[in-house]
Amino acid sequence: MLKLETKKLAKYFGRRKVFENIDICLRAGQSLALVGCNGSGKTTLLKTIIGLIYPSKGEVTYSENGQKLEFGQYRDSLSFVAPYFSLYEPLTATENLRFFAKVCGCKLMLEKLNELLSQVGLDGRGDDSVSSYSTGMKQRLKYAVALLKKPKILLIDEPGTNLDESGKEMVVNILDSIRKESIIIIATNEPKEYELADGICQLDS
Amino acid sequence: MIWKFLIYLSMTAVIILAFVTTSPMSPASASGDSEVYRIFYFHVPQAWVAAIAFLIAVFFSVRFLQTKNIDYDIKASTACRLGLLFSILATITGSIFARMTWGEFWNWSEIREVSIFILLLIYGGYFTFRSAVSDEYTRAAFSAVMSILFGVAGIFLIFILPRVYPVFSLHPNDSIIDESGVITMGSTVALIFALSLVSFTALFLWIYKISVDINLSARYRAGER
Amino acid sequence: MESVNWTAKVLAVTGKDITSEFRTRFAVNAIVMFALVTLTVVSFALGVLSPSGEIMAAMFWIILFFAAMSGLAQTFIKEEESGTALILKLSCPGTIIFFGKFLFNLLLLIVLAVLIVPLFIVLLNSSAENWAVFIIGLLLGIIGLAGATTIIAAIVSKASIKGALFTVLSFPILMPLLAAVIEITKTAFIGGTFGDISAPIQMLIAYDVVMITLSVMLFDFVWRY
Repeated sequence: MLKLETKKLAKYFGRRKVFENIDICLRAGQSLALVGCNGSGKTTLLKTIIGLIYPSKGEVTYSENGQKLEFGQYRDSLSFVAPYFSLYEPLTATENLRFFAKVCGCKLMLEKLNELLSQVGLDGRGDDSVSSYSTGMKQRLKYAVALLKKPKILLIDEPGTNLDESGKEMVVNILDSIRKESIIIIATNEPKEYELADGICQLDS
Repeated sequence: MIWKFLIYLSMTAVIILAFVTTSPMSPASASGDSEVYRIFYFHVPQAWVAAIAFLIAVFFSVRFLQTKNIDYDIKASTACRLGLLFSILATITGSIFARMTWGEFWNWSEIREVSIFILLLIYGGYFTFRSAVSDEYTRAAFSAVMSILFGVAGIFLIFILPRVYPVFSLHPNDSIIDESGVITMGSTVALIFALSLVSFTALFLWIYKISVDINLSARYRAGER
Repeated sequence: MESVNWTAKVLAVTGKDITSEFRTRFAVNAIVMFALVTLTVVSFALGVLSPSGEIMAAMFWIILFFAAMSGLAQTFIKEEESGTALILKLSCPGTIIFFGKFLFNLLLLIVLAVLIVPLFIVLLNSSAENWAVFIIGLLLGIIGLAGATTIIAAIVSKASIKGALFTVLSFPILMPLLAAVIEITKTAFIGGTFGDISAPIQMLIAYDVVMITLSVMLFDFVWRY
């Protein structure tokens, strides 16, 4: 059972306080929405929880059955979706998925690949290069990459960005399918998306 | 407080003695005005301090990577700053000596001159790099890694390279190192040199401690703790 | 099972870069064009002069070094600039990325060498007397070039003035390599034997091993942030 805990987490950029005194405790099956207006530090907090940004104060602890996990250990069970990173544009969707599967160490069979593509609504477009995709399709592909790992913790920054109605429905379906066994953290300022999580953490600027 | 006075005293003594006693080079074996060799009392300790500063920087770099404590990064970068200062001083005094004895300020085939130039390049790159990164931790981590890489490359350059190649050196080795490679100096010369070495080192450590304290408290005041 | 997976992962990274490169040709273009232009300028400038083999050996490495500087950082800079670095960091351990990128840079340099050597012979009318020595020196030099600069490329990709910084930081670190490799190539050009260069070769091998090992150990500190 994966457990995520933060204690008095704080981040400052120079004199500017981004967030402070963040205490979170989440176990498998629980979910949290980080909420706040633009500039309130949601993205920074998300990245700090993942381990890509080093906190100024406090700590983030991942543990499984009481055993503390280092970044290298929980990385394989962690997936992240956000609008501000990209996948490999010169490669096709299939090549991207194959690459990430290989590099994460998960076996990707052909049926699984097609299944993933249709789960995110991209069936038939697997052999097109990502540079030809619309932003909505690129976002869908990111969800496909996220699902490759069968993540025990899924973090999403602005889940509905670039997505149309069917895309947003896809997100709900994906979250529902992993909700029971995984931790979900989303950062959003769309009130409709608050329902995607059990609890809310409000950040003020 | 007492240290400050001791340093003042010994430095003054060194400066006076350097000029009052006989020059460390006897006119017979010198190639040039023997008075110039007095610079030996200052140039060598400066180069020595520059090297020590760099070693200190590498040490604190390793400590930072082990503990992720930004204080170590401040200690390392302060050491580099002072190391740069003393390297510049050593280059200047060395250049003066070069001009007086061999007629030119700079000579690319002199291995030690090349080494100090590389050291200046390293420090230059180090500080350019630090100003190009905005996040504290990234800057600290990268600076630490670079210091270690520079240190290892430096070891290759200073120790291993000269052994591999026949080294062309203008530096006066024959003056203080006789045929069997043992350093021999007149006892007054040795005394003054030792005093200078100790004084420069103490001066460096004193400036270093004050600088580190200033930089650490500047960081605390900026509210990052 | 695990160790097989490890190599497969490394090759996946290299393969991905090669496929990407094939379709966009960023790095290859930069390196090859730079080398061709430099070669042409040198050839033009030398005109009817035919300098000694020793000078030509140095010229060869000058061209190779600067061409390398123009292109070896691309593999990391491209990841940063196209926004793919983040997902890559979350996908696999740093060592796999390091070796994947190292192999890619190595391949880039091999392509460069294969192109440049014949052109060098033809345009500059200069050739190695002892090919075995030349090839060995070239190979070891390229391995060291790629090995030492991969981690620097990763560091530079997050700074703001990437290109110039890469050269400034790489040069001091590559100095021992350049000194050794130019010496070996000089010997090759004037027809020396392996016996003449046993010392530089040993140093070069030591350098390659040390720098790659050090880079692997330090890479995670750079890649995490």
